[in-house]
Amino acid sequence: MILTRHHLSRRTALKGIGATIALPFLDAMLQARAIAQGRPSTSLRASKPVRLIAMEMVHGAAGSTAYGIKQHMWSPAATGSAFDLGPTSLKSLEPYRDYLTIVSNTDCRNAEAFAASEIGADHFRSAAVFLTQAKPRQTQGSDVFAGTSFDQIVAQKFGDATPIPSMQLCIENVDQAGGCSYNYSCVYTDTISWASPEDPLPMIRDPRAVFDQLFGVGATPEERRLRRKDDQSILDFVAESVGDLRRRLGPADRARLADYLEDVREIERRIQKVEQSNQTGEPRELPGAPVGVPDSFEEHVKLMFDLQALAFAADTTRIFSFKFSRDVSNRVFAASGSTAAFHTGSHHLDREERIADFQKINTYHVSLVPYLLDKLKTIPDGEGNVLDNTLVIYGSAMGNSNLHNHKRCPLFFVGKAGGALKGNRHVKADDGTPMANAMLAALNGIGVDITQFGDSTKAMDLNVVQS
Amino acid sequence: MAPAVAHAPFGSAQGQPAGMPASAQAELVKQYCTGCHNDRGKAGELTLTGWDVSRASAERDLTEKMIHKLRAGMMPPSGARRPAPEQVSQFVSALESRMDALGAADPNPGWRPFQRLNRAEYAREIRALLDLDVDVTAFLPADTISDGFDNVADVQTFSPTLMEGYLRAASRIATLAIGDPSGSPSQATFKLPKTASQMAHVDGAPPGTRGGISVDHTFAADGDYVFSMDFFAEPLGFLFGNTRPGEEIEVSLDGARLAVFKIDPRMSEEKTGLTLKTEPIHVKAGTHRITAAFIQRFEGLINDLIAPIDHTMADTEIGIAPGITTLPHLRSLSVVGPHRVTGVSDTPSRRRLFHCRPTTQADETTCASDIVRRLATQAFRRPVAEKDQARLMSFYARGRKELNFEAGITKALEAVLASPQFLFRVEESPRLRSASYGAAGSNTNTGYRLGEYELASRLSFFLWGRGPDAELLKAAGQGRLGLVGALAKQANRMLAVPGSEALATRFAAQWLRLQDLEKVIPDPILYPYSDQTLSLALKKETELFFGSLVSEDRSLLELLTADYTFVNERVARHYGIPNVTGSAFQRVSLPADRRGILGHGSILTLTSIAERTSPVQRGKWVMEVLLGSPPPPPPPNVPALEETKGTAESGRALSVRERMEQHRGNPQCTSCHRVIDPIGLALENFDATGKWRVRDGGIAVDTKGELFDGAAIEGPDGLRAALMRHKDVILLSFTRSLMTYALGRRVEAFDMPTVRRILRDAESQQYRVSAFVNGIVESDAFRMARLPASQAADTRTTDSAEGSDRRRNQR
Repeated sequence: MILTRHHLSRRTALKGIGATIALPFLDAMLQARAIAQGRPSTSLRASKPVRLIAMEMVHGAAGSTAYGIKQHMWSPAATGSAFDLGPTSLKSLEPYRDYLTIVSNTDCRNAEAFAASEIGADHFRSAAVFLTQAKPRQTQGSDVFAGTSFDQIVAQKFGDATPIPSMQLCIENVDQAGGCSYNYSCVYTDTISWASPEDPLPMIRDPRAVFDQLFGVGATPEERRLRRKDDQSILDFVAESVGDLRRRLGPADRARLADYLEDVREIERRIQKVEQSNQTGEPRELPGAPVGVPDSFEEHVKLMFDLQALAFAADTTRIFSFKFSRDVSNRVFAASGSTAAFHTGSHHLDREERIADFQKINTYHVSLVPYLLDKLKTIPDGEGNVLDNTLVIYGSAMGNSNLHNHKRCPLFFVGKAGGALKGNRHVKADDGTPMANAMLAALNGIGVDITQFGDSTKAMDLNVVQS
Repeated sequence: MAPAVAHAPFGSAQGQPAGMPASAQAELVKQYCTGCHNDRGKAGELTLTGWDVSRASAERDLTEKMIHKLRAGMMPPSGARRPAPEQVSQFVSALESRMDALGAADPNPGWRPFQRLNRAEYAREIRALLDLDVDVTAFLPADTISDGFDNVADVQTFSPTLMEGYLRAASRIATLAIGDPSGSPSQATFKLPKTASQMAHVDGAPPGTRGGISVDHTFAADGDYVFSMDFFAEPLGFLFGNTRPGEEIEVSLDGARLAVFKIDPRMSEEKTGLTLKTEPIHVKAGTHRITAAFIQRFEGLINDLIAPIDHTMADTEIGIAPGITTLPHLRSLSVVGPHRVTGVSDTPSRRRLFHCRPTTQADETTCASDIVRRLATQAFRRPVAEKDQARLMSFYARGRKELNFEAGITKALEAVLASPQFLFRVEESPRLRSASYGAAGSNTNTGYRLGEYELASRLSFFLWGRGPDAELLKAAGQGRLGLVGALAKQANRMLAVPGSEALATRFAAQWLRLQDLEKVIPDPILYPYSDQTLSLALKKETELFFGSLVSEDRSLLELLTADYTFVNERVARHYGIPNVTGSAFQRVSLPADRRGILGHGSILTLTSIAERTSPVQRGKWVMEVLLGSPPPPPPPNVPALEETKGTAESGRALSVRERMEQHRGNPQCTSCHRVIDPIGLALENFDATGKWRVRDGGIAVDTKGELFDGAAIEGPDGLRAALMRHKDVILLSFTRSLMTYALGRRVEAFDMPTVRRILRDAESQQYRVSAFVNGIVESDAFRMARLPASQAADTRTTDSAEGSDRRRNQR
């Protein structure tokens, strides 16, 4: 099944508020039919579109402590391709080894304290640093300042290709107003996406809100189907009424109504395409709409992953940033096997058994990622699948959470990013390398040609096989 | 220096040529204007070299601008040579007479493309049709603003997003109005920002409670609903306000208690969570007021280690510190449901719709036909044509066949709401108008008269922000609205009923830029007594104030001079007015300094920024809104005020005025800022939230300055007196704005003779609001239209279907 870039005319590119009707395989119908019938398909873009999911986890990792490094609690011992994920928190990614690029030993220096007033505030600025690798200005007021984040740099370049340029999702209940601790505005803790150094973006927590934005209104597939049918007859009625009206108007008004009629036809066409694709037995069935925010963490995360995969399948958007948790969150992740509250557990006092206990939480979090990867792998894309053309970033701007340092921070990439990443690599950076170097390399790899990002010194080679 | 102000009456009746001879006019311009406005210098990109009266006739736009600037006393600028005031008066009169004569020779009522319902109008129409409150922002994109208003036809663009929004809205509203027994559960969440005050009683909540949220929510069906509440936490996850045990929160429906929860101070993210949920509670369909509010345990001052100032959530860390009394604050209220739907009970919207109920199958079609006809007539704002009725009935028939009578009505209602006849306010071209829609005037050069139903719509959207009521429709049906004086009579009726509050909430709120208020959040550390609750109250004050000018038919000039306003306890405390309690608004008298709109906290806050006042914004507001003469935009690369030094050499912080002096030392900036700043500086006694102050940054506030016409001003009183000398310009600006809003198109040069005539008539009625309203509705511009030359020939089509798409820069 061939799925290529779709062709919506400029006029019909949807921007702004309002739900879109997502059309699974709209262009597939056009292009595939065209190819099947031997006609040359209308222009195929030269480069494949790359998707992005930037995920932030907070509180660093057990594997960033001295003991954790020795025990290979986060990143494996060997670099290159022959590494053993067994003792690491990444062991659940073994089936996706070929898509995995681990980058270890990088620092997020801009999250450290530079002045006396900033000491102790690590939790309240790390989130802002992760995707910007810039130093957040210490302020509780409206003059916040950080940097443009990774995902927004990509969105500014490629976001226009889809109805929704990018989306920002989160799990924890956050709000952006006011001041948090240590004289930092809450916005630095609550969001990881910044459209510009002064524009933090809000993150959506309610899966239903995400769903409505992506797929339109209607709780069950049946409801949506019925709505489409209703919509079709309403549209017929509207078109007829518009026709009647036009006859009684002057030329300028007539021309205006003609534009309106065109919009009506466009919606009609979309509905018809969806009906067509459903009738041809396409197996992709949208799930029932979620009813608000699930109580369980795992359920919530999986739901968000479902939505992200579906958005990629329908090509409604290609860029997500996803904030897994919030700094100083005290959630308990019982399924991890540890009963410690997240923040409390992250202050393991550098004691070995408590570090090991904290590692259980890290491992649990990473173990949720394969759920997403499974889904991405099943979506065809060009000659491969979506995971080939996706870049998933997972990391934290904190290193040793007990000491609140930002050295040797956890980071890995999954997905081949359209060929930029070869996978099955563990790259260990030299001591003191900024994480921004890895991110800069990733940006370059997916087609953003900049030479500097955050506090980067140069673009790291993410495919090197070191001996 | 005596200000040079033109006190001339507005134009002359019947456009007779007035006194000043043409040569004298040309000489005046040559002497006093071409010094700057010449071919070489082109100040303001205008050259007046060789200006004479024939140019005045040829370039009406320019002439009207000249008239405006001269009347305002803005030209010649202060400091330049000025002619004697009488000369200016005569010149202005002559120009106006010339313009009026041109207008009389070629009367042009203007034309606009058809309008569609904007967000606010859509919501009001739904309310009028179905007795239902909907949140339209969930469906419809934001409206484009032109000339300050959101109902200007030619910038209303179409897009698939909009079309889709209308469709979704039609579907959802039809379901909500009639009820949805098959509906699946969904979650509605109402959030409270941290800036909302939760220490006092909230409007709509039961007495004896504090804070929380109280909203109207429409329940789609009878069934079980779960209410859940989230609380604010301090950054480490502990409940904000856990220092006080024994707090309770109550969930109530229409004032009746549903549940009460004890709030455990040990609530935190980790163990007990910060969310409280009720059991599933059975609620009947329809709109109900749901409230989650804390039981108020005490009133009065707190005697503790530290007594927090009103706005406690500025810094959430104090929420757990012992020795500081903080109380839990509600973060959000969610309604999840319906589960286990049992049916749909009677609701106001059902009662509005179902004025008949079929008892037998035979009755159904007749009853349905009746309901649909009534609905369509009111929604389409004219009697429904048989063809349309038949189409709508076919929707009913389909729904009836699929399910039952009510489903049929739901489908028909959805079709009505999606119909362009509901969404668009179309005005038909005279030649093509169908005979049944009111008498068509012939399309002469002077234009054609609008049809009866079109006039009814224009009138009701102008005064009520929604479609015509039954009486208006009846008058239209009888052909009475087109008669002379008929519209004014209806207008007087309509101004006297509550619907006319639309003039305050729709017109005045936009004219006075009140929507900017929500964009300014005063810094909570610097202004701890200000929060969102206060901002909303200040907005209401201004709306009530303007509403009183309308309902009491007061002189429009009282906008500036009125010695009263409306306050509730919060606002009264803010202004320093004693003896006002409770959240209801009441009328109070004001000290001289605070009188009129320039003393309203809403205006003073929206013209400030988070941490200080902005005299430039305030000056711009006065110039743009009141004087109709906005300053030109700043040149690029102007550094922000903060980048200048904030301290003097001695280390003392500079006041806002002193900081601006540093800028105005730059000659490039002075030419404009000499005009803008003194207006704002005169209001420096009001801080960024509108509170009275005498010191700014430790320095005594200095409000002395010189208005652009040379008059010395000091303080708000002095500013007001100086502005009142330009009351003709203020009234002009008001009339233009009101006309823009009423017509749904920008006011052009060819409209100015009409504007002047309205002002002359209003003068004889002491400038009462009704005089302006009647002047507008009786004008040709309101009752007639004339196709622009480019469209006069039917065979030609235009390229630009949507006209110019101007987005006005509001800042």
